[in-house]
Amino acid sequence: MPVVDIDTDELRGLTGEDKTDEEFKQDLFALGLEYEGDTEDGLLQFEFGPDRLDRLSVEGVARSLRYQYGADRGVYVPETNDADWTIEVDPSVPDERPYVTGAVVRGVNLDESGLDSLIQLQEKLHATMGRGRAKGAIGVHDLTMLKGQALTEESEPSGTINAASSDLGATEKTVTYRGVDPEGDRFVPLDANTDMTPAQVLTDHPTGDTYAELVEDLDRYPAIYDELGLFSFPPVINGSRTEVDAGSRDLFIELTGTDQWTIDKMCVILCYALSARGGTVEEVQVDYADGATYPDEYGPELLRPDFDTDEKSVTHDRIETMLGVEVERDEVVDLFERSGMDAAYSLGEEETVYDVTVPPYRVDVLHPLDLVDDVGRAYGFNELEPSYPDIGTIGGRHERSRLERAVRTSLVGLGFEDMLNFHMTSGAENYDRMRLDERDPGADLSEAPLGAEPAAVITSPYSEDYTQLRTWALPSLVQVLENNTHRTYPQDLAEVGFVAHRDDDVNTRVAEDYRVAGVLARTDATYEDAKARVQAVCDDFDADVETPATTHPSFLDGRVAAVVVDGESVGVVGELHPAVLVERDMEVPVAAFEFSLSALE
Amino acid sequence: MRFPQAQVALLEAASATDAKPIEQLAEETDLKPETVTRAAFDLRDEGLVAVDERVEESATLTDEGETYREAGLPEVRLFRAARDAGGTVGMGEAIGASGLEGPEVDIALANYARKGYGVVDGGEVSADADADPDADEEAAALDALAAGEVVEDAGLLDRLESRGLVDVDETTVRSVTLTDAGVTALMEGVEAAETVDRLTPELLTSGEWEDVEFTEYNVEADAPAVEGGREHVLRGAAERVKDVLVGMGFQEMDGPHADADFWINDCLFMPQDHPARTHWDRFALDVPPVRDLPEGLVDRVEHAHREGVGEDGDGYHSPWSEDFARAIALCGHTTSLSMRYLSGYADADLEPPQRYFSVQKAYRNDTLDATHLLEFYQIEGWVMAEDLSVRDLMGTFEEFYRQFGIEEIRFKPHYNPYTEPSFELFGEHPETGEEIEIGNSGMFRDEVLEPLGIDCDVMAWGLALERLAMLTTGAEDIRDLHGTLADLEFLRNAEVTY
Repeated sequence: MPVVDIDTDELRGLTGEDKTDEEFKQDLFALGLEYEGDTEDGLLQFEFGPDRLDRLSVEGVARSLRYQYGADRGVYVPETNDADWTIEVDPSVPDERPYVTGAVVRGVNLDESGLDSLIQLQEKLHATMGRGRAKGAIGVHDLTMLKGQALTEESEPSGTINAASSDLGATEKTVTYRGVDPEGDRFVPLDANTDMTPAQVLTDHPTGDTYAELVEDLDRYPAIYDELGLFSFPPVINGSRTEVDAGSRDLFIELTGTDQWTIDKMCVILCYALSARGGTVEEVQVDYADGATYPDEYGPELLRPDFDTDEKSVTHDRIETMLGVEVERDEVVDLFERSGMDAAYSLGEEETVYDVTVPPYRVDVLHPLDLVDDVGRAYGFNELEPSYPDIGTIGGRHERSRLERAVRTSLVGLGFEDMLNFHMTSGAENYDRMRLDERDPGADLSEAPLGAEPAAVITSPYSEDYTQLRTWALPSLVQVLENNTHRTYPQDLAEVGFVAHRDDDVNTRVAEDYRVAGVLARTDATYEDAKARVQAVCDDFDADVETPATTHPSFLDGRVAAVVVDGESVGVVGELHPAVLVERDMEVPVAAFEFSLSALE
Repeated sequence: MRFPQAQVALLEAASATDAKPIEQLAEETDLKPETVTRAAFDLRDEGLVAVDERVEESATLTDEGETYREAGLPEVRLFRAARDAGGTVGMGEAIGASGLEGPEVDIALANYARKGYGVVDGGEVSADADADPDADEEAAALDALAAGEVVEDAGLLDRLESRGLVDVDETTVRSVTLTDAGVTALMEGVEAAETVDRLTPELLTSGEWEDVEFTEYNVEADAPAVEGGREHVLRGAAERVKDVLVGMGFQEMDGPHADADFWINDCLFMPQDHPARTHWDRFALDVPPVRDLPEGLVDRVEHAHREGVGEDGDGYHSPWSEDFARAIALCGHTTSLSMRYLSGYADADLEPPQRYFSVQKAYRNDTLDATHLLEFYQIEGWVMAEDLSVRDLMGTFEEFYRQFGIEEIRFKPHYNPYTEPSFELFGEHPETGEEIEIGNSGMFRDEVLEPLGIDCDVMAWGLALERLAMLTTGAEDIRDLHGTLADLEFLRNAEVTY
């Protein structure tokens, strides 16, 4: 879950409330932000659900608090000035990262803490909506360091003037989003002293190294140019020429990514935060040139940031049913306004419907029921009186779960200690240490010893101890014995548990089964002891059991039999092979069995 | 009269005129002293013997006392050294000549003047010419005790005890005398009843058990340890949860552990580029994609992801591909079962009202430590009915947690992609009083329910069984509870919960 670091002095300034840290913690818990601890710099850390991404900065959190305190009501949209800058999108932009958006913000009072907050918001948006910069990446630049070439016929890449773009008219200044050959141009990236090519950045710069995997397979890398050359290499790093510092007042924001809506919304959240610091937002024109991929739903000509509000309607009935309380209509409107929305209702013939205006930073509102949630939060969910629903249903357990319990009771009655082992294991434990050879997927398993079935393998596992599902349960019990040689004997252990193996004939490609398995580890354990217990369990469930001789690599030849219940071979019983025991430094014989739970149905 | 063997022997050995100590009687009867003592008290209760009790002090030498007995008391050695050097001598010289070492020097000085051996003053030791070290009564007492003799002088013994040279023990000495009734009984004749050690089948069938006396056992003695079979402590917790939920009207679900991502995530309106769906959090299996998915459902789910549900609904701005939905992984949560049941795929189509639950494994690619496992049991439950409210959700969960001693739940508004409203549940730890997260809950979104063909409300919640078990058992390391690293000792000693 996202964590936001809050400077409470800033919070006091931005909310206009002179509250203590403790009071803020209480108020924020009510908003769903849970205090987690302090940073090294004395900031307070709050964790929250990844829905309200507009709260990833102190500015956004302050805005939410102002609504909670009633200092603000209703939808707020910052004023914007007309565009002075255009981002041209050249057809050379890599297809894998086609979209761009942006904004200009002038007259921001950044100072050190404002700059820290901006950097935090940028990083956290990258981590959440930006999906680690893959879906959306932000570059913020000092506008005064940019030089935009005038839009003249000569200076433009050919073919960019078309009927669509002339509708919006030309702006004074332009930057270009285009593709660059990995070795094509040089620039000085942030935190570097020399100029490099984009390819060199990926290999020689620490930030480049981190994000290399996002672009390294592309033929051309994404890049943004002004009149002076390359100043941004998204999604990897900015150039140092346009670096923002605490004294920067006019900012140029650009975002690139794989989804226009996503980068537009990230841009909106940034603009709201900078506007709260006194910045004036100025639109930026985005022109997708002929041949460049543009977003179908918006067309090739965009004015950004997109501060358009959204309209959704919700019925009064749905609000009351969901909250389980009666609410006055005007109170609902009030609750909407205290959530930063506007609402109007008309008394229809059958039901009241609220037409709700949703501000553009609310990326989480997908459906009318999200509006109900906002009303509930503003009302205070903890104000609601719990009530047990008056609904009659019949409870009961699944048949297999009843069978499992009955078998477990039999085993415990026979003196077994009930075990509960992991379902994941490694090939070494499941096969090798049991002297088994894994069969190939699709091989005929009719003659295969129990446990030798092909594994359902985990794709690139973290840990070499957990690389597959166990195909049988006995190895787990033998592992428990191995880990407990210092404990008192006898150790009679049993498990009724899950096993699985790969089987492409099954719908999920994994054949799942439940097994009854037991081990008797004691100085005088013999085949007979294991068979006696198999008989006892089978007898409890009225199952006829026979034990014809068989061979199995995990067991001692001549002391191992198949467990045949009602004519079907369902498992194995015998004395474990001395090699299995000695390899684990075990000094007592072990008699063991395993068979399918379904045999006892 | 018939008496147990030991009592008969005691009666015959005891005398009416001569009080005999227990030790002597034990020797005469060839019985253990404790057997004789018990017989004596039993006979006293019958009025046949009198038991006289006397407390006796016995003194024994300590190790230090034994050392001084052999080497001489430190003060005596100092005196001899001073006297042999001429009567008055420098401290250092006297100590050197006496051979005293370490704490012995202080002991010698502390007792020197007290016992009249002379004066220690101004760094000089003078020996009193009249003193006689061979008449030292403390030294004599040590010799006497070592020889097994009795030292009668109580004051002297006290001094030696306070010097740590002897230990004084008190013992109770009992002596037995026949009473008149005892004499009468003897005259009338006593015989031993037969005592038997074990009750045998022969004794029972022959009826002989009526005539025999059973040997008394020391019923307070320790018995050898027995390790019986028992249900695993975590399994016990799961059974308890199941009992509670069945009692609340919930039906148990069952289903696969390895399933298509479609059931695990897509049905739950989890966007395909959600961080929880990346390789890092989930256990993808290296097998071919699922064979069959219900066709119409796949289309409806895809539509919900792309376009949203309802007139005002928006979809996600995320990629969606059926290939990803068909990939097989281990279930990251058991909500996949709920999707299979709610869609009617697992069983028949469901009509409200319904309550369902499961307690099944979920698999998360996490770091294994004291509070995290790669696989854990998830308790999952949902209620389907017309017009459910948040208050119904709160009431249901309060009732559930109350069964486990957790009262006063706090509902923190939360976000899940598949529920709205959503709540994290916080409750007070029954032992520590700390507020801890005990579950996650919410009302399933329309985007989840509508593709499944459900047009009423469904509220759901989930929590880890291990978390509940750690709360109720006080276990501090989850690995003791679950898995092949289990310590048998822990499992054998875990308290049974019910």
